[in-house]
Amino acid sequence: MNTLKINGAEKEFADGKLPATVSQLLGLLDINQAAVVAELDGQIIERKDFETTGLKAGQSIEIIRFVGGG
Amino acid sequence: MDELVIAGKKFSSRLFIGTGKFASNEIMAKAIEASGTQIVTVALRRVDIDNPQDEFLAAIDRDKYLLLPNTSGARDAAEAMRLARLARAATGINWLKLEVTPDPYYLLPDPVETLKAAEGLIKEGFVVLPYINADPILAKRLEDIGTATVMPLASPIGSNQGLKARASLEIIISQSNVPVVVDAGLGLPSHAADAMEMGADAVLVNTAIATAAEPVKMAIAFKQAVEAGRLAYNAGAPARSRTAQPSSPLTGFLTDR
Repeated sequence: MNTLKINGAEKEFADGKLPATVSQLLGLLDINQAAVVAELDGQIIERKDFETTGLKAGQSIEIIRFVGGG
Repeated sequence: MDELVIAGKKFSSRLFIGTGKFASNEIMAKAIEASGTQIVTVALRRVDIDNPQDEFLAAIDRDKYLLLPNTSGARDAAEAMRLARLARAATGINWLKLEVTPDPYYLLPDPVETLKAAEGLIKEGFVVLPYINADPILAKRLEDIGTATVMPLASPIGSNQGLKARASLEIIISQSNVPVVVDAGLGLPSHAADAMEMGADAVLVNTAIATAAEPVKMAIAFKQAVEAGRLAYNAGAPARSRTAQPSSPLTGFLTDR
């Protein structure tokens, strides 16, 4: 199965379509990279490492951003 | 200059602004500007994958305002520490408003988990500003392990009830060697002025401004209240008396007595 767990929800990709890097996944999801931080299988991925951090089927990624809060 | 100093950093404003609950990013930005604040709090949440565009962070001028990420949503020390590390990775800033609130009804902070998280985060190099109940012993314990401030609540978050914890806040203020930032529950500028007159070093306001009919006006009102309260504190409060003390002379009346 070509699935990634993204923010708690399983997302399936067609064969050969799994994004290769965190950066590619964010692009696919239309997420502004400058405003987010990611956590891949519990490991924090800093923005500078988005392009070099590879993704594999079955991994869990959290994509997190700032929102209003007190 | 009567500056607020936190972890060696100087601030001329003593009003922190929370950024939750504003009707729009535009109104939030205007209210922040009007408040004269230099520190704004923000929260971390999952990106909504179905609606990923959001200009929230772009609405805050980070050259003018220090971003103070909070750990809201954390129910224990481990969750708070995870959020703290994510916040640092996202901002490059190691300042943190630590909050651990396992109780969803009153959102009261867990003192045991807060102390535990503060210890761990200080070891990891964070500048920790912990949100706490108005507990003077806990405030001392946190100061002892090296938190940059203590942030005791006035009353439950977002309740607008004002200084319900007055007596304990007075003790915390009288004993603290780190800045005391009264956080949560301040519903009116008069509450903020009251806290500042008591000797609080700063206050944090969010709901009272964000949910006012006119947030920008309310931001100005809080700015002035905080300044007036601080000025009054520095001026030195006059003594209280149970009976009247005449302001006009008691001699030279125009009648024979």
